[in-house]
Amino acid sequence: MIVAENVEKRFRDVEVLKRVNLRVEPGEVVTILGASGSGKSTLIRCINGLETLSGGKITVDGHDVSTKAGLVAARRASATVFQLFNLYPHMTALQNITLAPVEVLKLPKTDAEARARALLDRVGLSAQADAYPQQLSGGQRQRVGICRALAMQPRYLLLDEVTSALDPEMTGDVLRILAALAAEGTTMVFVTHEIEFARHISSRIVFLEQGELIVDLPTAKFFAEDGGLAVPRIRQFLSKMKKD
Amino acid sequence: MRFWRVIEPYIGFLLQGFALTVVACLLAIAGAVLLGALTASMRSSGNGLVRGIANAYGDVFRNVPFLVQLFFFFYGLPELGIYIGALETGIIAMSIAGGAFVSDVILSGILTVDAGVIDAAKVSGLSRFKIFTRIVLPIAMRVSVRPMGSVLINLVLTSSILSTITVNELTGAAKIVAATTFKPFEVYAVLLVLYASLTTLLSFAISAVHHRLNRFMTGG
Repeated sequence: MIVAENVEKRFRDVEVLKRVNLRVEPGEVVTILGASGSGKSTLIRCINGLETLSGGKITVDGHDVSTKAGLVAARRASATVFQLFNLYPHMTALQNITLAPVEVLKLPKTDAEARARALLDRVGLSAQADAYPQQLSGGQRQRVGICRALAMQPRYLLLDEVTSALDPEMTGDVLRILAALAAEGTTMVFVTHEIEFARHISSRIVFLEQGELIVDLPTAKFFAEDGGLAVPRIRQFLSKMKKD
Repeated sequence: MRFWRVIEPYIGFLLQGFALTVVACLLAIAGAVLLGALTASMRSSGNGLVRGIANAYGDVFRNVPFLVQLFFFFYGLPELGIYIGALETGIIAMSIAGGAFVSDVILSGILTVDAGVIDAAKVSGLSRFKIFTRIVLPIAMRVSVRPMGSVLINLVLTSSILSTITVNELTGAAKIVAATTFKPFEVYAVLLVLYASLTTLLSFAISAVHHRLNRFMTGG
């Protein structure tokens, strides 16, 4: 379980997250919605320890990410897929995926490669195993990014606007993979602007507004007139996103 | 041929000097690259003290003439009770001086590494050491290797200064031959060719390494 309690994050005097509380149980798909700059990505980056908290506490399966040992354990339990892929440019797709399993999980190289090839096959990239990121399209790169995350067999998958840099066709490819993972019961924390998709795969939706978590509802309730839509700010946000 | 008649009796001696130059340069290049990479990693550290130490080293050894550094080690180390040969002293001094410049070019390469790529490595649980050696350094080297080539070629040229502390490397050997034969033009013409061959070879090696490191950028 991921638990965020009264999480605060300040960049100098700008408050990016204000006393945010969030719980993610195993098996849940929790989508974080909110306008640009509302703190969604920062929240993900606090969970995986890329940002240090200014206040509050985050634990992943009980491991406090603000302690050194806790962060190591928390990072073992989760994996992150990034908006801009962040693949290692000097390594092939296969090497990108096997690096951490070999170095961190101490998997034998042949096992790591077998696992990586199975994942690449699953996302339709078996032919690109030896290609460098530079030689792949955006959608292909992001699928490699997903494989790299899954190769660590994480209990929690953190997805930070993973389709925002992709065109609609490539977005479809990536979302289909994520939908399949959700259907298998993969626990996900999903920051996105793909509202319809979020509605389709999420068990819960939380809404961030200027660093405050103002709504945390089961998906159906979030989109109901007497639920999320009763909050003017959310109604406004959803109608605006539909137009785009 | 007059030229060859002058050189012929001494060619063995000159080639011995050349061999010494090659050995000194290879060891100094290895030392400078290792020290430079280590210093660059320290200069990109989050720890202010570590950064300060590395910066101080770079500042001192880039801003003092090599000849002065060399004399400092050659005459200074025995004062501290450290007795090593002139050649060893020379190789150490070259490594230290070269390392200061190499750290500069590697650091500028490190600064080009995309922060997102490092984020990805961090969250995957890789240790700081692995992130540096497997991710940061190889990516940095693809831009650093060419400017580093200039630094290393300079280091080869600098090796001639070792002749001032009794090391009979190529220049030292040539001085002796020139003084014996009173034919400096012929002797230094040989040096011209030998030094140029050595640096040209190094330049080819650097190009090959650059090509190898950038293979993933060319779509090949």
